[in-house]
Amino acid sequence: MTVGLFEYYEASSPLHRRNPFIKLMALGIIMLVVTLDLKPSTPWFDPGVPLVFLVLVVACLTIFGRVPLLFIVRRLALLAFLTLPFLLFNAIYFDATQVASPTLLFSFGPWTAYREGLIGGLALALRILTFLSCSMVFVMTTDPSDFAISLIRQARVPYRFGYAILVSYRFLPIMRTEFDTIRAAHRIRGVGERTGLRGRLQQLRRYAVPLLAAAIRKSERTATAMDSRGFGGGPDRTYYRQVRVTAFDWSFLMAVVGLTMVLIEVLVFVGVVDGVALVPPA
Amino acid sequence: MPAIEVENLTVRYPTRRKPALRGVSFSVEQGESLMLLGPSGGGKSTLALCLNGLIPHSINAEVEGVVRVGGHDTRQAKPGQLSQDVGIVFQDPESQFSTLTVADEVAFGLENLAVLRGLMDPRIDEALGKVGLLDERSRRLDRLSGGQKQRLMLACALAMDTPVLILDEPTSNLDPEATNRFFRTLGGLRDERTLILIEHKLDACIHLVDRVLLLDGEGELVADGPPREVFSRYRRQIEQWGIWLPQVTELVLRLNPASDAMLPLRLDEAVEHFKKRLPYEAASPEEPPGTGPLIAPGARAFVLDKLSHTYPNGVKALDEVSLSVPVGDFLALVGPNGSGKTTLAAHLSGILQPEPGRVKLFGFEVTDLSVAELTERVGYVFQNPEHQFVTDRVADELAYSLRARLGRAGLASVEVSQRVDELLTLLGLEDLGPANPFTLSQGQKRRLSVGTMLAVGQRLLVLDEPTFGQDRRSSLKLMRTLQDLNRRGVTIVMITHDMRLAADYTRNAALLLDGRLVYHGPTRALFRQDMLLIRAGLWPPELFDLSLELQRWQADFPDLMTVNDFIAAFEGQGA
Repeated sequence: MTVGLFEYYEASSPLHRRNPFIKLMALGIIMLVVTLDLKPSTPWFDPGVPLVFLVLVVACLTIFGRVPLLFIVRRLALLAFLTLPFLLFNAIYFDATQVASPTLLFSFGPWTAYREGLIGGLALALRILTFLSCSMVFVMTTDPSDFAISLIRQARVPYRFGYAILVSYRFLPIMRTEFDTIRAAHRIRGVGERTGLRGRLQQLRRYAVPLLAAAIRKSERTATAMDSRGFGGGPDRTYYRQVRVTAFDWSFLMAVVGLTMVLIEVLVFVGVVDGVALVPPA
Repeated sequence: MPAIEVENLTVRYPTRRKPALRGVSFSVEQGESLMLLGPSGGGKSTLALCLNGLIPHSINAEVEGVVRVGGHDTRQAKPGQLSQDVGIVFQDPESQFSTLTVADEVAFGLENLAVLRGLMDPRIDEALGKVGLLDERSRRLDRLSGGQKQRLMLACALAMDTPVLILDEPTSNLDPEATNRFFRTLGGLRDERTLILIEHKLDACIHLVDRVLLLDGEGELVADGPPREVFSRYRRQIEQWGIWLPQVTELVLRLNPASDAMLPLRLDEAVEHFKKRLPYEAASPEEPPGTGPLIAPGARAFVLDKLSHTYPNGVKALDEVSLSVPVGDFLALVGPNGSGKTTLAAHLSGILQPEPGRVKLFGFEVTDLSVAELTERVGYVFQNPEHQFVTDRVADELAYSLRARLGRAGLASVEVSQRVDELLTLLGLEDLGPANPFTLSQGQKRRLSVGTMLAVGQRLLVLDEPTFGQDRRSSLKLMRTLQDLNRRGVTIVMITHDMRLAADYTRNAALLLDGRLVYHGPTRALFRQDMLLIRAGLWPPELFDLSLELQRWQADFPDLMTVNDFIAAFEGQGA
């Protein structure tokens, strides 16, 4: 599959129209809340809370971001697969002495899996997945050009860095193509793909030299071209692309904060969680 | 006040012993249009970078002498000031972009000059309109074709409204149609702007040039004058330094090396020149040159049977292409950018896997061959030779595949070094055995990459634009090496945009258009297919156009396509 996991999805939607920096802050808040220990009233609610957030984030992305649900779910499924090791390791390497009466699920050779460990692993995996889905919301609904300008104008990042981000964003697919070509070129030379650690390291070195040579040459050219067009010339610079923070952006941020708090209150009220702890219990 | 004044300019790069430019002096009036000519590595680009102040402001180099542009001494000019005096378009559009969309890219320069936002739109629209890209205003850059990208860079320079515009090999990444379009666009803009052009493809742009500056390999300015005068007086140096001339100019110089008559630069001038020598009488009623055997019978190097290929992004690159190429052929694979040439070549070399039954190599089903068996039979030379280097020494590069086969073929290491020496001589790299491949010149790298593909005696050689970005001397050297190999029985398939090379060296041509094979036959007969050429945006060699023009004056004038054709035809006809 050539489509990237994290890729801008061109559309016109309320989420697409939000100021990138504000959007980043809003998503940051959700990510922070997901890391908190919400003192679940029963162990099963530990993974339950991030799951609620995950569902909500994905729903927002498809409803307010106009990204097709299937498009999101496909990528999430792949990411979920990547979080499996967290789940497994937690289940298997669970410290059974922490719990008064651990429930044994199964044991196989030197491995024993406890229900408590599995739940903990599930909670961790879902937290990671929620994190990733927040990043997905940002990447899929944010025009990279707007993001760079927003970093410069709202986040006060020096404009040279802002443009460095933009240029490297453009370089990624180019270097990817370059890498594929080098690989094909080496195969034609009769250089087989290596296996084993030593072979792989040698192979990396063989690819790295032409790849770096190309990258350095390209970036030098880009720097020369940018300089020749007056980049970095004066202290003042104007911006063609207008990336503003509107009143609506602020309301959006407030709404996200408010709704997150309401959601926690609701969870406390229905007795799913007992409250918020900043520090996980020892 | 002259637009540009250069006095006694000497430039030294810190890492090199020899200066890149030595005591160069000239001045340019506003509105003049100049071409810089010189051997590769002769300081043309260095001079361009001095004019827009990148040397010494951005690029570290030791500069003596004075460069004044628009009255400003470039060394004292404030950064940013010079970008208002001089606009520059470089070779590779891909690495000049700073943003992601068309309008943003044009705006980038204006932003740097702190132009007020409200004033940008009209300037962006005007510049895009001039280069014919107004409809693409909000497109993403990665969705543009190569030709559009380079015209966009021109628009960026135009929007800055600089009195001086420098173009440093602006069309080297473009196909012939896009090249011609670029220079047509540029020709339509001729105004009070001063133009400085560095370019190999003189046929496409010589009509824009008032004056030529000729630099030698040492960075010295040896000639400064109207093109006709410089080409005529310095013909020997130009030939020796491997500088391309317009084809008709080269032809007339070769036909009458001593003549001082007015040299033609353009087709219409050449027609006038040759009209005087009509009527042409064929020396003997032998068949006109270039009608050799169509497709020789006998063994096939490769056979494609309804080969199709669709990339994962849905682009159908090849559409039922059937092609049968005999052993010993020299085939030009031509077509516009994106017509499927590289995809076809990739199927021959195992980079892409065809469905079974579609590709036969020397009688073998390609899918039945292992990677090793395939690479023993087919060599593939990539566009960028650096991609193929796998070792740190030139000699090791050549020995690499041989050593890999040591066990199997039973090659003793004495034989390996013998074979390596042979190849080094064949490629003209005799003294470079211990050098690092990455430190070679572009021409040497290219020849080395060809050599690495011959080491184990491959019988089919596929080359992707082998003369891309090379000067005349290294192009000709490479082509002669290929011709030599071809005579020894190696089948050669060459992807190229250069119809002059195709006419000079290849026997047959295959033309791809939107993934379909629309022509396969003698290269020379291809240039008779007007409709196909127009559809493919290919331009026959200028000399063929010349013989077509002459046929209007003498109906039985033969189809001549290369300098050698003309020499053969006019030999003994007197001057």
